[in-house]
Amino acid sequence: MFAKWLGALLVLAAAAAWGERQAIRLRRRVVELEEFRLALRLLMAEIGYTATPLPRALEYVASRLKGSGVRSFFTEVRIQLAEPGLVDDASTAWSRVAAVKQETLALEADDWAVLTRVAAGLGALGRDDQVRQLELADAQLSSLATEATEVCRRGEKMWRYLGVFGGLAIVILLL
Amino acid sequence: MNHLNAPVTGELEEIRLRTGRPLLVHSGRGEYFLGPAGIVDAGGACRVHQADIQEVLLLMTEYSMYARDEELRRGYLALPGGHRAGFSGRTVLENNSVRLLRDISGINIRICREVKGAGEKLLTHLYCDRDKRVRHTLLVSAPQAGKTTLLRDLARLLSDGDVGTGRPGLKVGIVDERSEIAGCYLGQPQLDIGQRSDVLDGCPKAEGMMMLVRSMSPQVVVTDELGRAEDIRAVEEVVNTGASILASAHGQSVSELLKRPSLAWLIENRLFERVVLLSRARGPGTVEGVLSGEALYRAKEAGGQSHVC
Repeated sequence: MFAKWLGALLVLAAAAAWGERQAIRLRRRVVELEEFRLALRLLMAEIGYTATPLPRALEYVASRLKGSGVRSFFTEVRIQLAEPGLVDDASTAWSRVAAVKQETLALEADDWAVLTRVAAGLGALGRDDQVRQLELADAQLSSLATEATEVCRRGEKMWRYLGVFGGLAIVILLL
Repeated sequence: MNHLNAPVTGELEEIRLRTGRPLLVHSGRGEYFLGPAGIVDAGGACRVHQADIQEVLLLMTEYSMYARDEELRRGYLALPGGHRAGFSGRTVLENNSVRLLRDISGINIRICREVKGAGEKLLTHLYCDRDKRVRHTLLVSAPQAGKTTLLRDLARLLSDGDVGTGRPGLKVGIVDERSEIAGCYLGQPQLDIGQRSDVLDGCPKAEGMMMLVRSMSPQVVVTDELGRAEDIRAVEEVVNTGASILASAHGQSVSELLKRPSLAWLIENRLFERVVLLSRARGPGTVEGVLSGEALYRAKEAGGQSHVC
């Protein structure tokens, strides 16, 4: 009897944890989108105002970010550029890191589509064009962040309840 | 480059990359074609591809063309160590001035070399011990005859002073429009320009001279390649503030110098007290003659015949 209740408790806890994980992922997406927006605005200032070369601009941006996931994105692009012969251009470095980070960050395909477009011409354009391109990406991420906030508001509770009640349903069925 | 022997690398002056053509290096000993194993004849030399040019350009700009677009527009890039790369390609014009350089097809990497002590002999002609000041001086030569090297060393010598002879160190302000004198990289001089030197890097000469005079109270203002009308006006302003001017200009001879209206105006008004003629006759920096401003004025009056004194 004890083993039965212990098993039921474990099933319930696992289901609740799964629901919590989904809710956290929704919240992380919002946080990461806002972090990327901040990073792009910092990068814009470094390029548009001080014309800082990309490796140092990326290092500065990374140093100003709190979230370790987005910070490591910029750090890794900088490392790729610093390593002789590793990449042909900044665009390749950005795209390569983006491909790797899709596995670990909570961003969706739409978010990555915008971020991947940033790579086009990165470092190979004039200052004004480079800033315009980043402004466009920032505007697109802004609308995605608004949408993500709404999805999070609606989905966060839903996933938590679904986890707990789903777990209960399984327990009832099994008992 | 690793296969080149020491005498060639020791006197290396230029590395030339031209799309579709062989890789060339120029040294004080002559011109060499480069192949995978070092110096070869023209047939065995490495051919430079457009992709090579692009890769070199991206490496030189740290993958950030926007950060160097102003320099690229002028056709050159300052590199770490005081070296410099010049570019040729297709220009894009806007309002009759160059907006950018695209389709770059040639890169000339000019190796910078400090020659400490190169200006020591010359300094005795330029420094007035009685007044403890430098005479307003113009160095004149054709390209690659050592003007910038000499200017740099003179700036260093004047800035450091000489304890042995009692010559005091002077405050030297350098307007380095093309990052050639101090070889600044990220704002830091890469070459020895003395303890009391301040550099305005990448700044237009005329504006830079006035900025320095207003803000850094230099006793000597050093700048390269005078020629434009606004430079000449700025030189006059510097002279009027009491600072000395040490500058250079392109020219093969005095007569050629006098044909340039703006420089001729400076001579006519006797702004320069010394004009130094340089050549490569016995290597870069060979002093062909030191003319007093008065002698030069007389030369102008006599129809541009140069007299070396």
